[in-house]
Amino acid sequence: MNAPVPLAITEEEFQKFRDFFYRKTGIHFEENKRYFVDKRLIDRILATNNTSFRNYFVMLRFETSGKELQQLINIMTVNETYFFREEYQFTCLVNSVLNEIVTRKRPSEPIRIWSLPSSSGEEPYSLAIYLLEYWPRVDDYAIELIASDIDTTMLEKARQGRYDQRSVAHLPPPLLRKYFTALYDGSYQINDDLRQSVDFTQVNLSDLAQMRAYRDFDVVFCRNLLIYFDDTSRRIAAETLFNALNPGGFICLGHSESMSRITPLFKVRKFPEAIIYQKPR
Amino acid sequence: MKKILVIDDAATVRMYYRQVLEAEGFAVEEAGNGYEGLEKALTEAFDLYIVDINMPKMDGYTLLRTIRQEPTICATPAIMISTEGQIQDANAAYAAGANLYFNKPVRPESLITTARLLTGEHRA
Amino acid sequence: MTLIKKHDATGDAPREFRHQSRDRAGLLCQLEADAPEQRRWAALDLAAFSDAADALCDRLEQETQTPVREAILTSLIQIGGNPVVCGLMPLLRSEDAALRNQVIEALQQLPEAVSPYIERMLADDDADYRIFAINVLANLRHPQAPAWLQDVIERDDNINACAAAVDGLAEIGTPEAIPALTALPERFADDPFMQFCTQTAIRRIQGHGA
Ligand SMILES: C[S@@+](CC[C@H](N)C(=O)[O-])C[C@H]1O[C@@H](n2cnc3c(N)ncnc32)[C@H](O)[C@@H]1O
Repeated sequence: MNAPVPLAITEEEFQKFRDFFYRKTGIHFEENKRYFVDKRLIDRILATNNTSFRNYFVMLRFETSGKELQQLINIMTVNETYFFREEYQFTCLVNSVLNEIVTRKRPSEPIRIWSLPSSSGEEPYSLAIYLLEYWPRVDDYAIELIASDIDTTMLEKARQGRYDQRSVAHLPPPLLRKYFTALYDGSYQINDDLRQSVDFTQVNLSDLAQMRAYRDFDVVFCRNLLIYFDDTSRRIAAETLFNALNPGGFICLGHSESMSRITPLFKVRKFPEAIIYQKPR
Repeated sequence: MKKILVIDDAATVRMYYRQVLEAEGFAVEEAGNGYEGLEKALTEAFDLYIVDINMPKMDGYTLLRTIRQEPTICATPAIMISTEGQIQDANAAYAAGANLYFNKPVRPESLITTARLLTGEHRA
Repeated sequence: MTLIKKHDATGDAPREFRHQSRDRAGLLCQLEADAPEQRRWAALDLAAFSDAADALCDRLEQETQTPVREAILTSLIQIGGNPVVCGLMPLLRSEDAALRNQVIEALQQLPEAVSPYIERMLADDDADYRIFAINVLANLRHPQAPAWLQDVIERDDNINACAAAVDGLAEIGTPEAIPALTALPERFADDPFMQFCTQTAIRRIQGHGA
């Protein structure tokens, strides 16, 4: 008689979970994602030794460590990075944002751009390629590209600049030929000029003391990291990012991330290509 | 079809306005705080905003003041609906840029009539 | 290739005032400085001093600049404890809607420290104040939160206080709340909004359509 009742998520439970998860993460599940969500939820309910959605949800909702929410976010999101991910933001950078920034710059003053977290380097190198290819004024200004991550293994990989097919799949083939060398094992080596143009450093975004040293940025790309933080850590991270920016500097978040769940510190700026946040001038 | 953006941190309130307004043929979108409301308002065109006062990240007054300074959306009408029933709350709402102020809970008939009026949706 | 690589990734030397003392007395003094940026840095650095709670709360009450207010609240959340909660609660009566809501969010981050004061807040004479307390509760990671919200819908005479509690119960309510939810609309002359909210909350608690 102790055959377990098969777990199922009801429509009301799905909606309750969906509302909560959206408020916490900004990730919204359409009705057609139902199967995907239910399956992962049931996996987590069983893995945490709960017997029903109701018990599991209580645990998720009241747990102070936020560990289970983090687990859920991990299995509901794509944690990989690749070249030209969320490309519309790079387009926005070269078409709109940089042109606004240079109106406030003296010719000798560098433009400082920070990719944090940079993971294995796809994001900062994409920025370098985008600037060189698509920003007409790239030769008129000195640009400093800094890339940081907490994970030194990732940073080492980034410095080496060797990528598999999956990482470069979104790059237009002419750019792949121009900036990479195809290796015999099917991977791609990014060229030395690009490797030299990015400065990689180890940083923990939650470490106020360490972050204090990073100043005077005009643009920060902080994509697909804050979504994994709890409310208080996000808040501290937002303070440190605010400190790192120049007045009028910009910050780009990942596509499901929004300052509306983090802090009112930044202004919302709507550009044709994207919504971007700005430190008030 | 006229589009309305409902901005309130209480999910049940948003669902209620949605139900009432959709039944009258309006299209309804929701935002859970003022900041999210501002993002949606800047991304998509609406015919009317319905705005709560007390919300996290950005309160309703700050939202309305910001909207009234944004060239692309400053002319969109807004109804402010809140629990605070003092005269000065209504005055503050008008000063921030509301076209109309209601106390909660608002009667469904009032919501429908004013939504029609402010969106120019005159039906029998 | 014009992109340049500099060996100092961290930017220009910090502004002059950063060299001022970062001990407690020095920071408390900078917290009252004329330049908002200076007040903001002092507020962030004071997170390291748990006995700075009172000074930070006093400053918060007068402060008008959002970045300084946010910094103060970020530090207060890190300091935590009953003195912080006692300093923040009176600010819920502020005329400034932005400040009130910032304070609500900060209190939500301090479940343990806030819990001894909840009952007193829910018994306040001012309905607006009670609604703010309910807003704190609805997002508080405290095991007693559902029971407190249930108390509200059983006792409070204000329709908006009850509606706020029902909204919270729709997410965190347990089946024990269902009888009180069922009885609630009657107390408010079957107001259509109240009927809708309670039905929604009951459905969400049961996990299936009624
Ligand atoms: C999903 S990747 C994002 C990479 C890239 N920004 C993108 O959007 O594709 C997340 C990265 O955040 C890094 N990370 C995690 N916690 C961090 C912290 N506290 N400070 C800095 N980086 C962190 C991880 O090492 C990982 O490389």
